[in-house]
Amino acid sequence: MTATALVRRPGAFATAGVLRTVDHKDIGIMYVLLGIAFLAIGGLEALLLRVQLATPGEQVLDPSTYDQLFTMHGITMIFLVAIPMLIGFANYVVPLQIGAEDVAFPRLNALSFWLTLFGGVLLYLSFVAGGAPDAGWFAYAPLTEPAHAVGTGMDWYIFGLAVSGAGSIIGAINLAVTILLMRCPGMVMGRAPMFTWMVLITSILIIGAYPMLTSALVMLLVDRQLGGRFFDPAGGGNATLWQHLFWSFGHPEVYIVVLPAFGMISEIVPVFSGKPLFGYRFVAASGIAIGFLSFGVWAHHMFAVGLGDAENAFFSGTSMLIAVPTGVKIFNWLATMWRGRIRLAMPMVFAIGFIATFVIGGLTGVSLAVVPIDLYTTDSYYVVGHLHYVLFGGTMMAVFAGLYYWFPKVTGRLLGHGLGLVHFWFTLIGLTLAFLPMHLLGIEGMPRRVWTYPPGMGWDWPNLVSTIGSFLIAAGAIALAANVWRSLRAGERAGDDPWDAFTLEWSTPSPPPSQNFDTIPRVRGPRPLWDRKNPDRMDPQ
Amino acid sequence: MASSLEPIVVLSLVVGVIAAVIFAGVLVALIVFTVRYRDVRAGSAPQIHGHRALEIAWTGVPLLLLAIIFVLSLVTLGQIGQGATFGSLEPPLHVDVIGHQWWFEFRYAGGAVTANELHVPVGVPIELDLSSADVIHDLWVPELGAKSDVVPGQRNVMRLFTARAGTFSGECAEFCGLEHAWMRVLVVAEPRADFDRWLAAQGAPASGAAGRGLEIVGSAVCSSCHVVQGQVAGTPIGPDLTHVGSRTIIAGGVLANTADALRAWIADPQRYKPGALMPKVPLSSADLDAVVAYLRSLK
Amino acid sequence: MSAQADAIGFTRDRNLVGIALFIGSESLFFLAVVIAFVVFREQGLATAKAQLDVGRTALFSLLLFASSGTMGLAAARRSRLWLGLTALLGAAFLAGQGLEYARLLGAGLRPGSELFGTTFFTLTGLHAVHVLVGLVLLATLFAASSARPRRVGQTAWEGIAMYWHFVDAVWVVVFSVVYIGTVLG
Repeated sequence: MTATALVRRPGAFATAGVLRTVDHKDIGIMYVLLGIAFLAIGGLEALLLRVQLATPGEQVLDPSTYDQLFTMHGITMIFLVAIPMLIGFANYVVPLQIGAEDVAFPRLNALSFWLTLFGGVLLYLSFVAGGAPDAGWFAYAPLTEPAHAVGTGMDWYIFGLAVSGAGSIIGAINLAVTILLMRCPGMVMGRAPMFTWMVLITSILIIGAYPMLTSALVMLLVDRQLGGRFFDPAGGGNATLWQHLFWSFGHPEVYIVVLPAFGMISEIVPVFSGKPLFGYRFVAASGIAIGFLSFGVWAHHMFAVGLGDAENAFFSGTSMLIAVPTGVKIFNWLATMWRGRIRLAMPMVFAIGFIATFVIGGLTGVSLAVVPIDLYTTDSYYVVGHLHYVLFGGTMMAVFAGLYYWFPKVTGRLLGHGLGLVHFWFTLIGLTLAFLPMHLLGIEGMPRRVWTYPPGMGWDWPNLVSTIGSFLIAAGAIALAANVWRSLRAGERAGDDPWDAFTLEWSTPSPPPSQNFDTIPRVRGPRPLWDRKNPDRMDPQ
Repeated sequence: MASSLEPIVVLSLVVGVIAAVIFAGVLVALIVFTVRYRDVRAGSAPQIHGHRALEIAWTGVPLLLLAIIFVLSLVTLGQIGQGATFGSLEPPLHVDVIGHQWWFEFRYAGGAVTANELHVPVGVPIELDLSSADVIHDLWVPELGAKSDVVPGQRNVMRLFTARAGTFSGECAEFCGLEHAWMRVLVVAEPRADFDRWLAAQGAPASGAAGRGLEIVGSAVCSSCHVVQGQVAGTPIGPDLTHVGSRTIIAGGVLANTADALRAWIADPQRYKPGALMPKVPLSSADLDAVVAYLRSLK
Repeated sequence: MSAQADAIGFTRDRNLVGIALFIGSESLFFLAVVIAFVVFREQGLATAKAQLDVGRTALFSLLLFASSGTMGLAAARRSRLWLGLTALLGAAFLAGQGLEYARLLGAGLRPGSELFGTTFFTLTGLHAVHVLVGLVLLATLFAASSARPRRVGQTAWEGIAMYWHFVDAVWVVVFSVVYIGTVLG
């Protein structure tokens, strides 16, 4: 197979080509490629920021450029990398896992991809059309109001997010209906794979949370273009209203990008431990609990706003509560490994790394739920450290694990182990150097979103270390790119089930034919392939 | 209590230790399991599906721990929040704080107005009344503990305290535009007597030298944005300059308050703080010297 | 291919569940805008009392509420007559909104003139856009069922009816909060 095998393989884009395909596997690949492309762009933005911050008083970037870059970095990584990659994986894998031929609405599925892409294009057009948004990814009013915002950047923000958000909502409806109504015979929800479970919950979260963002964007548009006063205190409006609306979206959003990651880990750890997921019911229930609770914690981003002690206490309580279902998953994964037969293939290596790095992010998150601690650490680099540990040490590590896991199913070839280890160690060491010192910086008083900082504050060496770490992460990504390139051309061929796994996607050829299954399977337990391969030790009904 | 930071440090240590123990436990388990159960063959592991009692336990124990931390946090909030006394018997000192893009204004009862620098007496709870003239800012003095947003259309109240004298560095901690990074402050905590003397001096009208400098500052060039109480009746858009000569930093901390720095700043503010709302002031070299001399005489 | 034949039995449920989820999402969108209106309600009450024509809007609202009834009949009987009537009632409601807007704009009330203008026009304007989309859907259904009546599945009738009921339900809330709320405030 040549390097273009990915787009010319039997099945992929074969019937309709990229522009007209409605096959969920094609669309899944397109989403993931979109995410990878924007990962490179967002990563480049990060490297520029880190170069600027490597030493105090640096002047590589001027404040305006810096502000646009940190804003676009955040927007890109969340809306154009994490979401598309996770929806891409969900699109490809979920129908296979539930024994379906495609998703519920294939044409809408294609539409949701193109809307996501178009939204991203709109956002990036801003750079050449008056300047990119520059008020941060959460764009607090009234800085974004006409009285204070310079240029048209925020209008691009509104349209870019509204359009790609519409794509996400449509994609989520598609996945939800698919999972609810198209599971193969015998697959009650209690027998569905954990990745499918998490995708279902995530889809409901998207359907519930994105409209909050859309409403805020519409109101901001009214303020900016029609002279409205929603968020302008001078006109009678309320600056904190934006924050309430945004974070009502924003907090579920972070669970939207982490639950599918949890789902991937819940697939990988059991397979590479040779055991079932410990506590399937609890893990599923904890996902549901997170889903519900995620709508009730938003104001923990606003403890310093001055809401009042009672409100702060309420949101502190719910935020601590949500830590419990999040944390117990870690115990379930550890218990799955316990007494297992651990195989350190690349998916498992990244899954183990994920557990170590995500638990750090989770613990600092709990500290941020404690109001007095948050009043010190919020809006400092401590939060930047926390969010990168959960989003990079969490979501991204899981995405890497998922990539190594499902790459053979998609392409029919395995990714190399040697280059994989290079990728892993550069990434783990890189992220530790990049993000761990940020906690120290926050404790030492460095605020976030500053284009430069004064010398002599004790902030110099941690910033330099952080910059070095960011370049190591980039090096790891290059190793991954090289691995993909090489594997597509000459990687070891994978059969249907290279990992000796448990779920239905591994019963199809690699890559699967366009209709996925010749006959729709019937299942009798949560691990159909395990049952088939071990008829003497099937899972209890 | 040594300062309003102290209760936060205590609570952070409690939470930090608990977090460290949990992290260590997870890491050790991870490493031990990976090493101990490493095997190239799959499929011969015991097929354990779960253990209800264990799962209930590891759900309940964290819940309990968190409940304890929650209660401790309420106690800490009581020690640093609204109406906190920090163990002091002194009545609180009120200061109004107004956030601007990109500098902080401080107004004391009695009429003293200053910028970039907040003087406070030691051993007295300081009650800051925070509001914004434009966008959302946040006042944070890390060595004194918590921060508070400074929101337009809203008044926030925050109490700080220190028992020891010293100079503490503070900053804006809510992204507020181009020069958010240079919206820094100095907090000078001094013994009561020194503070009273400082306040009295700050409250007195200006006593700057007359001459060319005063003439220029009094003209529209400067008075369209600045005020010098008793000598220049201007529009208070920029910082009040009545006692600017007594301050340690200027321009939100991007420069120290020396003659050279002041001169360079006035000649071209955009060079040091691009985006600052102070425009380039076209003055001749001689005029510039006169203005700097006048401003430095405003002690 | 044989698997697809089995799937046809699910089709009807799929579309309706999908539309229901979409309606759920849009409901939350409107909830957020309603909350914003309510947050600012007191500030705008004086203007609202002075400017709003509650009686006339109530009459036009009755037309919209009636259209839900006609839509229900249309879907049950796959009747183009009742469908056409629904569209007429919906259009009449929009025309009434248009008259109301013209009057208010003429009196100087704009999204940018004061806070009540912002909240009123945003909330009712967003609803009007949804009604317009609904009219487009009704027209499409009318045209499709004229050309090939048997090709238009029951699910299309029911799905579009669901959307139309949703638009109506939103107006129940908006009318209550904005108009009745003004009278009672």
